[in-house]
Amino acid sequence: MNKLKLNYTSLSFLPILVCIPLGYQLINNIHFGGLKLFQEFLISAFNPKIDNEIIITIIKRLNETILIGLFSWLVSIIFGAIFGIISSNIFYKIFNIPNFLYRIIRFFLTIIRSIHEVVWGILLIQIYGINFSIGILAISIPYIAINSKVFAEQLETIDYKSFESINQINAPKFSSLLTLIWNPIINTFKNFGLYRLECSIRSTVILGFFGVGGIGTSIFLSFQTLNFRELWTYLWSLAILIILSGLIFKKIKFNTANKILSIFFIAVFFITILFSFSYFIYFIFNNNFENFNSFSFLFKSSSDLGLFDFLKLILETIILSLLSTGIAISFPPLVIGIFNNNTSKIFIKIFAFLLRLIPTPVILLTLLTFNNPSISLAALTLGLHNAGITSKLLFTNLDSQDKRNYIAMKSLGISKKTSWLLGLFSQQAKSYLAYCAYRSDIIIRETAIVGVIGSVGLGWQLQESLSSFAWQEVAIVMIAYSSIAIVGELINGKIKNSLT
Amino acid sequence: MNNTVLELKNISYKYKNDLILNKINLKINSGEKIALLGKSGSGKTTLISVLNGTIKPTQGEVKLFNKNFEELDRKQKSKITTIWQDLRLIEDLSAEQNVNCGLLAKNNFYFAFKNLLNISSFKKAHKYMQLCRLHNSIYDKKIRQLSGGQKQRVAIARSLIQGSNILLADEPFNNLDPKLITTIKNLMLESIDKNNTKKSPKTALVSLHRLDLLNDFDKVIGIRDGKIFFNIKRNNLKKIHLDKIY
Ligand SMILES: Nc1ncnc2c1ncn2[C@@H]1O[C@H](COP(=O)(O)OP(=O)(O)OP(=O)(O)O)[C@@H](O)[C@H]1O
Ligand SMILES: [Mg+2]
Repeated sequence: MNKLKLNYTSLSFLPILVCIPLGYQLINNIHFGGLKLFQEFLISAFNPKIDNEIIITIIKRLNETILIGLFSWLVSIIFGAIFGIISSNIFYKIFNIPNFLYRIIRFFLTIIRSIHEVVWGILLIQIYGINFSIGILAISIPYIAINSKVFAEQLETIDYKSFESINQINAPKFSSLLTLIWNPIINTFKNFGLYRLECSIRSTVILGFFGVGGIGTSIFLSFQTLNFRELWTYLWSLAILIILSGLIFKKIKFNTANKILSIFFIAVFFITILFSFSYFIYFIFNNNFENFNSFSFLFKSSSDLGLFDFLKLILETIILSLLSTGIAISFPPLVIGIFNNNTSKIFIKIFAFLLRLIPTPVILLTLLTFNNPSISLAALTLGLHNAGITSKLLFTNLDSQDKRNYIAMKSLGISKKTSWLLGLFSQQAKSYLAYCAYRSDIIIRETAIVGVIGSVGLGWQLQESLSSFAWQEVAIVMIAYSSIAIVGELINGKIKNSLT
Repeated sequence: MNNTVLELKNISYKYKNDLILNKINLKINSGEKIALLGKSGSGKTTLISVLNGTIKPTQGEVKLFNKNFEELDRKQKSKITTIWQDLRLIEDLSAEQNVNCGLLAKNNFYFAFKNLLNISSFKKAHKYMQLCRLHNSIYDKKIRQLSGGQKQRVAIARSLIQGSNILLADEPFNNLDPKLITTIKNLMLESIDKNNTKKSPKTALVSLHRLDLLNDFDKVIGIRDGKIFFNIKRNNLKKIHLDKIY
C-alpha cells in the first residue's frame, strides 16, 4: 500500500543511510582515553577564561583576523567582479571577441576555485614562508574565482534585448558595457558581497590553524595545550565578532543615489586595485622564493607515491565527500522534524549556530579525543559543520513559509510530525536539495581541511608531500584534487539544473 | 534628388527552417517617410532588425550610405535610431537615465559613468521628455514603475535624443491616446533641430496598424509572409493593395 516513493522529500531523508557505514566505523574506533578531555571541553564552554591578559590578546588577535578578513574580502570581491565581467557572455558580445577565450578564462577560474584556501595557504606558506600577506593571498586566490562565478552568473541574466538596443545606439563599447552591467553588479555586491565577508573571516580563522595569524592561531595553540577555557574565550569572542559584523552590515543600506557614498566606494575600489597591483609587483621582486628555486624542481623531484596508494587516496576523498554530504543533507530535516516544538527549535538553532561557529579543525580535534582518526570521523566533522549551515537555510525558509497547509492538516487530526513532513517540509524539499547540491561543491573542497588534520585522503597526502618538498607529488595531488572538485561541480550543476 | 540612404538587396532571413524574410529588395531615399504595413507575424520587426544591423540576414546585402554594414564605423552606424516594438529599455535604471542612454554615442565613457551614478546633467533628457509630454514626476522613477504609455514615450525620447536622421520605428503608437499620437507622430517625422533640416532631412520608416495615420507618409510598403507585396506612393494606395496583405 504505502510504497516508498522517490520524491524530493524522501530524497532529502535517504542520504541518512550513510550513517550505517559511518556508525560502524566510529563505534569500532571508539576509545575512552579522552572522554575526560571531552567533558572538560564541553564544560569550559560555560566557563571561559576572562582576565586582562587574555582580553588584550583577543583584541590583538581579532584585529589581525579582521584585517586579513577585510582585505581579502575587498580584494576578492573587487577582482571577483572584474573577472566575472571578463568571463561573462556580454563582455564577449560587446567587444566581439571570439568565444573560445571566454571558455579558457572560465576553465582557468574553475581550476583555481576547485582548490580550497587551506590548500593554497599551506602551499604558499611552503613556498614563501609564513608572512602576514600569505593569509590575504591564500583567501583571495580561490575567492576571486568563486566570486567571479557568481558575478558572471548574475551578468548572464542581462536581457539580450536590452543588449541589442544599447548596441544599436552605437555608443563607445566601454560605455555600453558599463551601462548594461551596472545593475547586476551593484545588486550582486548588495546581496552576495556582505555574506562573503563572513566567509572571509571564517576562512581567516581556519588559516590561522596553519600559522597565518589571527584568532585562529590562538585557538589552535590553546587546543594544543589543552587550555579549553582559553579556547572558549576565543571562540565566544569570534562568535561576537561574526554576529556583530552581521548586524552592522544589515544596518548599512547601500544607496547608489547617495553621491558621497558612491564616491567613497569608487575611491575604495580604485585604491584596492592600485594597492593590489603595487603589492603584487613588490611581491614578485622582493621574494627570494626560499624553498622553491625554480620550476625545474617540479621535474627533478621524484615521487614515492605508488599508483595504488594514489587511487586509494582519491577514493578516500570521494567517499569522504559523499558521507559528509549525506549528513549535511539529511540531519537538518530529520532533527527539525523529530523535535518539532518551540523549545527544541531554540536548542537546535543554538546547536546549529555552534556547529557553524566552531571551525572544523576544532570540531575534529575534539572528536579525536575519543575516536581514532578515520574517514568516518572526518566525514562526521565536515557533515556536522555543513549541517549547521544547511539547517540555517532550512529554518529561514520554513519560518517564512505559508503555514496554512500545516495547520489544516493538524486540525484534521493528522499527527504533528506527519503534518510537518507533508504540509511544511515537502514544499521546501526541492529548493533545499538544490541548495545542498551547491553546498556539496563546497564540501568537496573542504575535505582538504579535515584531510590535513584527520589524516585522510588527498589533503593529508598534500601536507606530507609538501613537508618533504616532493613537488611532483604536490602537483599530482593538486591535479587530482581539482579534478575531483571539477567533476563534482559538473555533476552538481546537472542536479541543480534538474531541481530548478 | 534621389539619395539612397538604406538599401536591402535580395535579403532573406531564415530561422531554423522558417523563411521569415523572403528575397526582399528595398531602397529608402533620404527624406522619405515610409509606412510599413502588414499583419501580425508578417515580418515587420524582423525587417526593421535587419535594417538597423541587429539581425544579420542569411542572404543578401544591407547597405547604409552605399556601404556594407561591416565597413561602417561606429559614428556612421549611429546615424540610425530605432524605437523597438518591445521598447528594450533598461528596467533597473530610471526614466531619465534611460533617455540619457541615447546620448551615449556622442559622449565618452565618463558620461556613461556619471549617468549611472546619477550625477550627470539631465537637462537635455528632460527637454526631450517634455516634448514627449512626460510629466516631471516620473523623471527619476524606475522603468518598472511606469505605465505602458509612459514607457513607450521614454523609449521614444531615448530614440529622438540621439539626433539621428534615419528613424526606424516599430509600432511606436502602441499604448498612446489619440492626442499623444498626433504629438509623437509630429515629433518623429519632423526634425526638431531646425538648422539641421536643410542638410539632411529626416528619413523615417514606421511600422503601424492604424490606417488613419497614413496621411503623413509619402510611401507605403506592404509586407506579408516575409515578402514585400507592394511599395508605392501613398496617393496610389487602393483597397486591393490592403486586401492583398491583410
Ligand atoms: N526570435 C525568433 N525566433 C523564432 N521565430 C521568430 C523570432 N522572431 C520572430 N519570429 C517569427 O518570425 C515571423 C515574423 O515575426 P515578426 O516579429 O517580424 O512579425 P511582425 O510583423 O513584427 O508581427 P507583429 O505585428 O505581431 O509585431 C513570425 O512568424 C515569428 O513567429
Ligand atoms: Mg513586430
